[in-house]
Amino acid sequence: MHALQKLFPPTEFALLAVILVLPLIGAIVNGVFGKRLGKEAVTTMALFAIGGSFLASLVSFSLLASAQAAAHAKGSEEAVRFLWKGWEWVRVSGRHDMAQVPLSIDFSVDALSGVMSLVVTGVGFLIHLYSTKYMEKDAGYHRFFAYLNLFVFSMLVLILGNSLPVLFVGWEGVGLCSYLLIGFWFDDEKNAAAGKKAFITNRIGDFGLIVAMALLIYYVGSLDWAGIEGGRSNLLTRVQMWPVGNQVPGTSLLQSSMPSLVEALNRPRYVSAASLVGIALFLGCAGKSAQFPLYVWLPDAMAGPTPVSALIHAATMVTAGVYLVCRMAGVFVLSPAVMFTIALVGAGTALLAASIALVQNDIKKVLAYSTVSQLGYMFLGVGVGAFSAGFFHVLTHAFFKACLFLAAGSVIYAMHKRIHDTDASQDMRNMGGMKKYMPHTFAAFAMAWVAIIGVPGTSGFFSKDEILFKAYTSSVAFPIPDGKLIDPRSGKVALELWGWPSWGPTVLYAMGVLGAMMTAFYMSRLVFGIFWGDFKGWKIVKGWKEPEHDEHHGHHDDHHAGPVEGPKPQESPWQITVPILILGALSIVAGFLNAHPLHIAPLDHFLEPVFKFANGAKDVVAAGSKGAGVVEHPGAHGLMWPLMAPGLLALVAGAGGAFWVYLQQAGGPAKALAEKLPGLHALVYDKWRVDEFYEETIIGAVDSLAEFAVVFDRIVVDGIVARVTAFVVAATGTGLRRLQTGHVQAYAAVMVVGVGGLGWFFVAPHATTTVKPDEATGSYQITAAPGLGYQYRWDSDGDGKPDSDQFGAEASLSVSLERGQQKKVGLEVKNAFERVSKKQVTLFRPKVDASKEGPGVIQIEQGPDGQLRGVMPGQNKPLELRRPPAPPPGPGGPPPGLRMAPPPTRPNPAEPHQHQPGDVH
Amino acid sequence: MMGQLVQHYVLLSTVIFLIGAIGFLVRRNILVQLMSIELMLNAVNLALVAFNRQHQGNMNGHMFAFFVIAVAAAEAAVGLAILLAFYRLKASVNSDDADTLKH
Amino acid sequence: MSVGSLFFSVCALVALVGAVSTVAAKNPIRSAVGLLATIVAIAALFLKLAAQFLAAIQLIVYAGAVVVLFVFVIMLLGPDATTGERPARLRLSRWGGAVLLAAITGAALFVMRKGFGPLVPLGPVRADFGSTEAVGGLVFRGGLVPFEIATALLIVAVVGAIAVARSKPQPKKPRAEGHETRRLFAGPLHPRDAERPLPKESAR
Repeated sequence: MHALQKLFPPTEFALLAVILVLPLIGAIVNGVFGKRLGKEAVTTMALFAIGGSFLASLVSFSLLASAQAAAHAKGSEEAVRFLWKGWEWVRVSGRHDMAQVPLSIDFSVDALSGVMSLVVTGVGFLIHLYSTKYMEKDAGYHRFFAYLNLFVFSMLVLILGNSLPVLFVGWEGVGLCSYLLIGFWFDDEKNAAAGKKAFITNRIGDFGLIVAMALLIYYVGSLDWAGIEGGRSNLLTRVQMWPVGNQVPGTSLLQSSMPSLVEALNRPRYVSAASLVGIALFLGCAGKSAQFPLYVWLPDAMAGPTPVSALIHAATMVTAGVYLVCRMAGVFVLSPAVMFTIALVGAGTALLAASIALVQNDIKKVLAYSTVSQLGYMFLGVGVGAFSAGFFHVLTHAFFKACLFLAAGSVIYAMHKRIHDTDASQDMRNMGGMKKYMPHTFAAFAMAWVAIIGVPGTSGFFSKDEILFKAYTSSVAFPIPDGKLIDPRSGKVALELWGWPSWGPTVLYAMGVLGAMMTAFYMSRLVFGIFWGDFKGWKIVKGWKEPEHDEHHGHHDDHHAGPVEGPKPQESPWQITVPILILGALSIVAGFLNAHPLHIAPLDHFLEPVFKFANGAKDVVAAGSKGAGVVEHPGAHGLMWPLMAPGLLALVAGAGGAFWVYLQQAGGPAKALAEKLPGLHALVYDKWRVDEFYEETIIGAVDSLAEFAVVFDRIVVDGIVARVTAFVVAATGTGLRRLQTGHVQAYAAVMVVGVGGLGWFFVAPHATTTVKPDEATGSYQITAAPGLGYQYRWDSDGDGKPDSDQFGAEASLSVSLERGQQKKVGLEVKNAFERVSKKQVTLFRPKVDASKEGPGVIQIEQGPDGQLRGVMPGQNKPLELRRPPAPPPGPGGPPPGLRMAPPPTRPNPAEPHQHQPGDVH
Repeated sequence: MMGQLVQHYVLLSTVIFLIGAIGFLVRRNILVQLMSIELMLNAVNLALVAFNRQHQGNMNGHMFAFFVIAVAAAEAAVGLAILLAFYRLKASVNSDDADTLKH
Repeated sequence: MSVGSLFFSVCALVALVGAVSTVAAKNPIRSAVGLLATIVAIAALFLKLAAQFLAAIQLIVYAGAVVVLFVFVIMLLGPDATTGERPARLRLSRWGGAVLLAAITGAALFVMRKGFGPLVPLGPVRADFGSTEAVGGLVFRGGLVPFEIATALLIVAVVGAIAVARSKPQPKKPRAEGHETRRLFAGPLHPRDAERPLPKESAR
């Protein structure tokens, strides 16, 4: 251990490079040479790449854990972070009073990313193993593993990045791989369209992320985690959202007729910068993690192969949004409004998706909506401030959802042997009774099922219960006293923050419990539908042999006379069953990582330093306020066991209800309800027609714009612009060609004209002057150009009358000027043919002498540790300043609890910047 | 009186030069064009010699005129040769027919 | 009017009349005779300007060689030397030319009046001014390089004139059928050369 610690010091943690590079090499080798290498080589390369990455993650994790334990023993509460520096990419200019922001490619691992990387590489390895069997008959085998490895690489870049730009690179990378893998069987138009939908919806979210990065550069001046943590108090400033500019355009015309309306329109509305950043970041999370309104891509993403659904759309990529919220927790807690929005949207999405899953028949679609629903739970958890609870749910969800998807894939693998049509082989109505044909798959599926519905003792129980408990007891308080931002210059209230509503906890808890009930119901419906009852896929015939049709006849099975016949569904090979059994076991036992009711919470303890600022943030708190950031309801501990009861009730009601409807009554009540309310049933089956709504409004608008662009291109650009320019050029050519007569006399005539011009030039006098300025002494020398027989006459005082009547021979004149003075000097030139030409020259001497270099301007910035540094422009080394000589570039309103000397005045960046005497700019 | 001032000779030279120039631009007969060129050259020679008569420091004017005569003779010979070749091609000495370079 | 100015006036008149007839005559022989008149008049003016050497050269080269060359070519062309220029066009050009001539002459007069200071009559000349020795001395001392270059120029002009004015040789008449040897040497030796012309034939 010691040797390892010596080998990988915390500031140059090269293991991160190993973790990142192995999957990248796997992707490149498989992608470029995979076809030539063959299946075995590709398999080996992919598995070793991920396996190696997993081992490296394990080693990093253990090193991190020991380092954190050692730090904790010393009494430090700081999060341990191992850093590996890459290189500096670019420098971006931030606000005018801040120094340039360097964007570097660095990677780091701390408790949060350490756990996440373990999950990604571990679950990723199991899924790779699974895919070696699942995709073995596919022609694009090597391409699949190249994409899969590339995905793991991108995900690791996302997790291990030390700053938002690096995270964004990984963010886009996983979006790209998701697109590539969803549309893996791109020959079918449907799959390609699904891939496009995923990518475009993701992109809408990415816009939010970019806006957030820009805002952070402006207000905080840093984009890496340490910098954001240190400078996030700058975000407590108000931003004017309305009107843009000074007034709504046109209101000045209405001023006299409707003054009250004008006043209402032009009244400025503000939000805090923290809210803006939070909502922009959450837009990105909503896109990536499939929350309302950007969840529409995830159910369509089931068009990809099942391992893809398991890895990307269950375990890892979709949790990137939750990871981002956890990572930026320090910024989010500064805005209770955004946190509540996150929690509410999460809970709402959970309910919405669960309702759709109740009536779906495709098993992958049920699991897809289940994923959306569970993601809603995670956002509910992080929204109320329970970051480690939400993250724990990420962990457990990765296990049981991956297990569910892979087990479903195992079932589909078995179904596909006889039914080759994709939709039919995934339809629940064609399955049933599989538990006697596929016992291993059933065991794994059942383990994951009990976990997701929340049977006490399983991981899902502990994580969901924790979230529900925290939904009721935890909330986010104001980061400043009474939620009022005070403008330091005027002392008045600049902005009142929106506080956590009193009805919030109850409503969120109720939504969570309702969602839990629906989850239990539809998951049990799924399990019963697949594994209980009679097999409805085909008639099982002993010793059935595959008829010698070619592949194309596979789709016409249903046209044969009589029921379809086939063999017994087979259990899948070990490469498929072993991973799902492992995942199933994990989903049962992993709960004890964070079993709060039993007071075992090693994970919480481990993650505590990462979220320390969120729980009772000390540095953002005003003296005297009773807590800021995340606060717990007083008496929360006593409520733990009582609040568990509705959750258990929901479990029993849901599972019991499904048992009764589908096993005892064989689906009768469900069908009766569907017949009684056909409109509602159709609406829910059609996913509440959200996709159709988007198609009509947003996509329709874009389509119209595209059609308009086509017409514009054809008529205006091709027709007018191209034709007109061609015509002009051709006409000019035709005109100029007339000059080429081929007759020597014509050319000679042109020459005569030219000679005439030359003659005029020589006969007419030209008055041209050059001015030689000497700004130091103020004496300007004007020199006139010489010519044949030229004589000059000057007018040096600008009164319009020449100095002398005679034309003389002196060709230069000296004029002296005071600073800021302007003089007009006249010149008359007479040539040998006695023709005269006049000219007037204006001389101006500027006030300030710009000929010498002035003193350099120092820019003051605040480093991440709160110390003030001066940076000379053009130099890289900052100067350490003993005492802040000038107000540091902070905004209005940070409370005096900050570790800075209280400044006298502070320029508010939201207001137009006015120069004050003594400003160091 | 005429002939005593250099200006008289320069004026005569100018007029002869202009006659030659206008003749070159106006006439279509290549022979006449060549003769007009000879007129122009002669006019220049007259001006050179007149100026040299005025400024008698050196004989540069005469030397220049000497070379002008030599070059004019050479140019007349080559020009007539080209005229003959052209006549062989187009059976005409009208310069309007010499439009092979026309667009 | 002194003899000098009478002489100048007569020569100037002859030169002008000759120049105008060079430019305006329809018959090229008349143009050539006009040119001759101008040249002789200018030679006379050279004499008045004490440029004896140049006057002699002018008569020998210009009147004796250039004009003769022109006359040779006119005779060679025969009736084709007279081009039928359309009279209408000619009349407009004539009047236009006359107007232009008058205008520029007036401008030149004006310029000369205004510039170049007071009008000073030409002074006396020394005895050997304009003599062959004077010009020759300058040419062979200071202007030797231009002289040699002019020599080269003349040679090149002669060769060029011969090359350009040479008539193209007539194509050979085809040989009659007959002697074996002649047939052997008449066409290509090998069937493969049937398409490729011999270099001698392609130079034509």
